[in-house]
Parts: sequence; structure tokens; C-alpha cells
Amino acid sequence: MVPGTLLRWSSDLHESVESKQEEGVQEQTLGGSQNCEQCKDMSGPGRSARLVELVGSTRLGEVFRRKVRQRRWGVTLVTLGVAAIGFWLFSDILGSTGWSPIKVLELAVFSVLFTTLAFGFTQAFVGFLVLAEGHEPLKITNTLDEKTPLASTAVVMPVFNEDVGTVFGNIRTLYRSLQNRGELEMFEFYILSDSTLPGRLVEEEVAWADLCRQTNGFGRIHYRRRKVPVNRKSGNIADFCRRWGHRHRYMVVFDADSVMTGDSVASLVRLMEVNPRAGIIQTMPKLVGSETLFGRIQQFASRLYSPLFAAGLNYWQQGAGNYWGHNAIIRMSPFLASCSLPVLPGREPLGGRILSHDFVEAALMRDAGWEVWFAYDLEGSYEGLPPNLTEYIKRDRRWAQGNLQHVWFLLADRVQPISRLHLIQGILAYSSAPILVLFIFLGGIQAAIDHFRGHASSIPLASAIVLALLTLLLLFGPKVLSLLHLFSQPDLLRRFGGAKRALAGVFMETLFSILTAPLLVWFHTRFVLKNISGQKVVWNTQTRGAEAGPGWVQTLLEYWPVPVAGVFFGILAWWISPLYLLWITPLLLGLWLAIPIAQFSGRSTVLRNLFLTPEEIDPPRELSKSEPLQLRAGDQFVHAILDPFYNAIHVALQRRRARTPELSEHTAGLADKLFREGPAALTAEEKRALLNDGPTLAKLHMLVWRTPAEKMNPFWVEALRAYRNETPVSV
Amino acid sequence: MAISPEYLGLLRSSINSAPEWKEAWERTNDYLNALRIPADLERELMLLTSFERAIARKRKEPSTSATELAFDEAQKALDATLGNLISAKVPVDRRSVEERVRLYLMQPAQNSGLSPRNRLSDDVLEALREVRLEAVPRLQQAVIAPRPFALNTAGERLAALAGKFSFLGSNRILAWFLGLCFVGLLIYMSL
Repeated sequence: MVPGTLLRWSSDLHESVESKQEEGVQEQTLGGSQNCEQCKDMSGPGRSARLVELVGSTRLGEVFRRKVRQRRWGVTLVTLGVAAIGFWLFSDILGSTGWSPIKVLELAVFSVLFTTLAFGFTQAFVGFLVLAEGHEPLKITNTLDEKTPLASTAVVMPVFNEDVGTVFGNIRTLYRSLQNRGELEMFEFYILSDSTLPGRLVEEEVAWADLCRQTNGFGRIHYRRRKVPVNRKSGNIADFCRRWGHRHRYMVVFDADSVMTGDSVASLVRLMEVNPRAGIIQTMPKLVGSETLFGRIQQFASRLYSPLFAAGLNYWQQGAGNYWGHNAIIRMSPFLASCSLPVLPGREPLGGRILSHDFVEAALMRDAGWEVWFAYDLEGSYEGLPPNLTEYIKRDRRWAQGNLQHVWFLLADRVQPISRLHLIQGILAYSSAPILVLFIFLGGIQAAIDHFRGHASSIPLASAIVLALLTLLLLFGPKVLSLLHLFSQPDLLRRFGGAKRALAGVFMETLFSILTAPLLVWFHTRFVLKNISGQKVVWNTQTRGAEAGPGWVQTLLEYWPVPVAGVFFGILAWWISPLYLLWITPLLLGLWLAIPIAQFSGRSTVLRNLFLTPEEIDPPRELSKSEPLQLRAGDQFVHAILDPFYNAIHVALQRRRARTPELSEHTAGLADKLFREGPAALTAEEKRALLNDGPTLAKLHMLVWRTPAEKMNPFWVEALRAYRNETPVSV
Repeated sequence: MAISPEYLGLLRSSINSAPEWKEAWERTNDYLNALRIPADLERELMLLTSFERAIARKRKEPSTSATELAFDEAQKALDATLGNLISAKVPVDRRSVEERVRLYLMQPAQNSGLSPRNRLSDDVLEALREVRLEAVPRLQQAVIAPRPFALNTAGERLAALAGKFSFLGSNRILAWFLGLCFVGLLIYMSL
């Protein structure tokens, strides 16, 4: 940690230095107590400015480091203390009937799970204390100075066949917000498309042109499409860096569903400017915009519980934070110099190209000596979320594979300890599921052995009850603490719909979590085991509706093994011991009800009065604005041929280059096939090849419009008829 | 060009009475609708003059369809009207595309390039001729080279060990067999 960065911190830190001086520690760089008296009187930017002068004090740097060390030790000791209690209680229970290899293994697995649980609880508890205290001296937003000049910043949004309205709408939100603040000058926007669907990429181009036309954003809003999406999202960002890496000092990375206000983005740039050792600053995006039961529950839970976890996370990680891949600002120069992703040993799924790049980039940034901060209390950062359970699990499938690849970095050179911890947490987010299954499996075997030996009733009841209570505390404690924090803020409570709705929401959310947790365990276990055995996981269901999710039949086809397995495990547990069945019933319940749960998760009319969040009740101005793009409905590829503007924009955006006679002949053949047989005759690849040939597409446009109906494929006649109903713009 | 309303009415009614020309009329109209050119007098005039020329051409080229002729003539009329929006240097096969791009950029503020009422100032015209639809800025390239991945000593040992057991991943039956043997051994030792 470089003193320059950390000693912009506020008076608390200063006080700690002063107390040191009072203790007689010689403070050379502060220049004695007189300076500190001056600092005491300073407030706001003035204090920051004065503290900047004090930068360079290695002594203060040491104080800061010590403070952070103390915090980390504190969190570690509490976590290990709680875990040790659990370990002791469980070993008491297991040892009461003698030890066996299964029990030793069970205790080892229990230790991993319980320590993870204890760490989560400790973080939430610390976060609760930080928020209850109301003032956190060690957070990066303390250094924010609104007078700091902005620097050239790229807002980049990598997209891959995403909903065009969402992508361009979110860019427009930020654009307008910065425009309203009068701070647009230093920002440029890049939509980095890796889209492969022919219609989607045409739609993106027209949406770009329309957005630029609406906002007068030509030259400021850019659209780049890669014809070959090498290395997915990380490759997309790397390609941007190669092309325009020297054009900007910072880049703010968006996901397709990210929304940020101008206020928050400008603040991020200013924070970067005043913290010259910060390589990445991650914000805490709030989940917004969901209409379905599943989405709204997640939105509510995240909005209510995450502030505690976020404050707790910042408490111990400080400048050794993590990057989540979006809603964050990155300093370009160290990113270019240090964060290009290596290729992992071996083949996919566990080797090869890195899928989840964010954690690794944060680790590489840290390794290069830069800080990664978490601006957890910076307002105005939002993101969307999958609308239903099936989409959520699909996303988890990708993330599970990506996070499991991080195992390599645990074994790599030059990875900082805290970065390793972040990587472990990411890995455990998915691998804890098979570990839990192993724990239950071992418990089942042991229960069977005990049952047949007649030892079942001889477990120490007191230890079992205390352990059960402790586990419940760790599981549900953060929820209770979050509620306490909420009830201490009447205004915020009102924005959650009032006390009754908030309580009912927490109750229903807890119930929903209990029911969905086994399902997630099932799928996570499947994903992890498949990946470990070198196989990729394939998901068959395709969601047609934007929100509702798959229909009953599709859900049944995808989920049927889950309830069947639930019934099988239930019978097995009953056979082992009815008591054992009772113990694992909460787990089995989720498996039995998997299909209706998955179905109802996508409903948008259920429990609308619950799970209210402040952003839902009173949406921020930026989120409630709507300026629809002028796009045609229907097959966008067809519009690229028929619509005069779609065609012109697409053709104008194609790079003009000499084409080989073979290539020209190929695309001419495709155009002829398309004209004669209609779009269904071409594959997606052929459509893309045709779209890459601007002149042929321009000719095709004219050909279709000037050919009489009897000489044309009926598809085109029908498609042209649709244009007849267009209402001309009235003067 | 002064055309009498009677003549126009007659032309219009004769177009409507011949199915081939009616289809051509509808098609050309649809195209202008798609271009969002307002249905005003200028548009009607432009269409009728185009059709007048097309009908004249039909006499010379009877094998060419009415739709084709009418569309070509309408396109020529559009080129004549919108041609001042683009640079003279634009190649012929590209002119229509560039005209449409400019028409798009002018909307919705400037709904039609056909009406004399919508005459653009010289500055705007100059700017329109100069403009080129560019989706990306000029390159300012940088180098971003992946750094080599190196395992630490423990990592190398673990990777070597994992390599020895990699055959389990490719042979499911063997993996299941060994797994069950391990569980069986655990149970046996725990009895």
C-alpha cells in the first residue's frame, strides 16, 4: 500500500497517528503536532488537500497497514473461533460413539463447510457493526472530491447477442445523465459486439445509429463488431485495449444489463484521479428492473442483505479487493501492462482459455502492485438479473466452469494471499455444493451404521442442540442483522414498503431460499462433477419469452431427474432411519417440488405486494426514463435487405475492401439463393457471410423492391406487404 | 414543369385501372413510405412524373415489367432530389446508399428532402456531403500481451499428481469402480 493513496483518509486515521504521537512515537513527516492541529480544523476537500501534503509519510503508511492488519486478524480470529466451536461440538457428537474413518472424513468436510459459513457470518456481523457505527474511516469514497477534474474515460459494454433495447437504453441512460451534469466531454462510449445472430447484429447497427441520432452522439458513441469472437468477453475487452488502449486513461466496464448514473461514473473517475495507486475500483451494483417472482425475490434479498456483506467485505479487504467484471472502473495503463490473461495448462473445461476473467484480472492487478478497491457505498450503480430460476442456473453453469478454472491460480506463482482468498471464495461458491452432498452422503452412511448397531440414540443431545442453534445463527443471523439495520432507519424502511411488508418479504424469501437451495446444490454438484471429469455441461431448454421462462413441458424435460432423485433419497433415508429422513427433509422438499418451483419462478403476477425495494417503489430518475429506439419488429436480417435505412446503415458501416473473385462469387451465389428461396434457405453462417458483403446487399435491396410479385419468392411478397401498413411520417 | 391537374388525374386513374401499373404504383409507394417520405404534394408529383417516364419507356421496352420501370424511374427522381446531399465523388453504385444514410440522419427533424420548403442551408448541405458514417474512432493501438502462466513448486507437484490420475476422467466406468471401492473400504473400516 502506497502512503500517497491511503493517507487521504479522514480524521480517524489522523487521530490514530496523533495518539501515537502522544504516546511518544516520533513522527517525522507530519512535522509535529502543529500540523495535526491544522488538519483537525480541516473539513471536506480542504482536509483532503492538506492530507495530500502529508502524503509521503511512511510512518502514516505503517499506521494504515497496521490498522488493516488488525482488521484482518480480527476477522480471521472471529471466523476461526466460531469454526472451532462448531468443530468441537461436531467432534463431540461424532466421537460419542467412537471414531471411524468415515467420521474423520465427515469432520474434515464439516470443517470446510462450517468455516465458510462462519466467514460469511463474520463478514456480515462486521458489516453490521460498521453500518451501525455510521462512519467507516477506511473506505475509498472518503477521498472523493467533487472539484477534481475528470480524465478521458471509455465506457465499454461488451455484448453477445443481448437484447438491443436494454444495451443501447443503458448506454443512453448514462449518456443523458452525464450530459445533464455537463460532464460528457471526457467520456466516450463503446458498444463492443461479439454478436453472432445475423438479425441481432443488424439490429445493433441500426440501434447505434438511432441512439447517435437521438443524442447527437456521433463520434462519442462507438459501435465495434468483431467478426470472430476470440476468447469471448475477455477477448472482446482485450481487443478494445489493443485498438484504443492509448486513447483513454480509464475504462468503465459495463455488462449488457448494467446501468450507472453520470454521478457515479464521474465519481469513479475522480476517485481514480485522487488515488493514483488504485488500479480498479469496483462498485456495488443494486439489482433492479425485475418483474418476475424469482427476480424480485433476488432483488429484494440483495437490496436488504448485501449492504452488510459489502461493508464487512470492505472492512477487511481494503485495497486488496476484487473485481466482478462490470460496474467498475479500470486504469488503462496497468491493465494493459499486467492484466492480459494467460492461457491455462490443459484443455477446457478446466484448462485453456480463461472464462471468468474478472477475479484473475484483479489478482494480476494486485500482483503488479496496484490496489483494487470496493466503493461499496457509491450510489447509482445498478444491474439486472436473470428473470427465472432456469436462466439463473444456466448462468451458474458458465460461472461454475469459469470459477473452477481458478484452481490453477491457487497453485500459481506471484498471486497475493488475499487474491488467493478471493479465488477460493469463488471456487467454493460452486464446489461447496458437492462438498455438502459428500457430507450428507457420509452422514447417511454413518447414520445407517449407527442405526444397525443401535447407537443412534446415544449422541450427546446438548452438543447437537447447541450446534444446530449455532448453524441456524450463522445461516440466518445476517438476515436478522439486516432487518435490525433496516428497522434502525425509518425512512429506508418506508421505502421497503413498511415494517409488515419487509418482515413478510424476509419470511417468504427465506422460505424460497430453503426450497431453491437444494435445487442449486443439485445443479452445482452436476456442473462441478462434470467439469472435473473433463466434460462440458449442456443445457437443452431455451427460454422463448423474455420473462416467463420455459413452459411446463420444457421444465419437466429438464428437471424430471430432480424430484425422482428426491423420492429415491427419501426412501433411502427412511430405510436408514426415520430420524435421518426427518433431518434431511428440508433438503428433499426442494427436490420434490423442483418442477413447480422452476415454473413459478418466472411468473410476474405472484406476490406483487411483497419484495418491494426502494428502487421499485421510487425508481431513480435515470431508471425511469424511457426513450424508445426506432427499430422495426420482426426478423432483423430481412429488414437489412428490405428496409431502406437498415440496408443503408448496414452497407455504409461495412469496411470497403477488395474482395477476391471467389469470395464475390460465393456471396453472389448466396444472394441469388436468398432471393430465389427466401431467408430460410440460408444458414446463420451464410447470412453472416452475406451481411459482410455490403455491395451485394445493396444490390439485393434494389432487386427485391423492383421485382414484380409474380417473379419473386412468396416470402418476399409477404415481407413487402408488411411494409404497406407503415404509416408515413406526417409533416 | 407545369402539369395540369386534369392530366394528373387522368394518369392516376389509368394507373389504377391497369393491374400491372397498379402493382408498380403500390410498390413504389411502399418504398417511399419505408423511406418515411411524407405523403404530400411533392411526393405525388414526383411519383406521377416517374410513372409518366416509365410508361413512355414501357413502349420501348415491352419485356421489362412495369414495377421495374417505375421503381427505376422513381429511384432516378430520388437521386435527382437527394443527389445534392452527397458528394459528387461518391461512386454511382454507392449513391443510393449514401442518400438514404443522409435521409436517415436528417429525420425526424427534416422529414423530407423532396419539398422545396425543406431546403437546407449551404452549411448543412456541406456538412452532409462531408459526413461519413463511422462507427469507431481512429485507432490508438496498444500492446497487451498475455503473460506466461507459471505454477509454483507445490502447484507443479499437484499438477503432476493430477496428471497421473487424469485417466479417471476419460474412463467413467473405471472412475465409478474405484470410487465405489473406496466407499466400500471406508464402510468396511468403519464397521
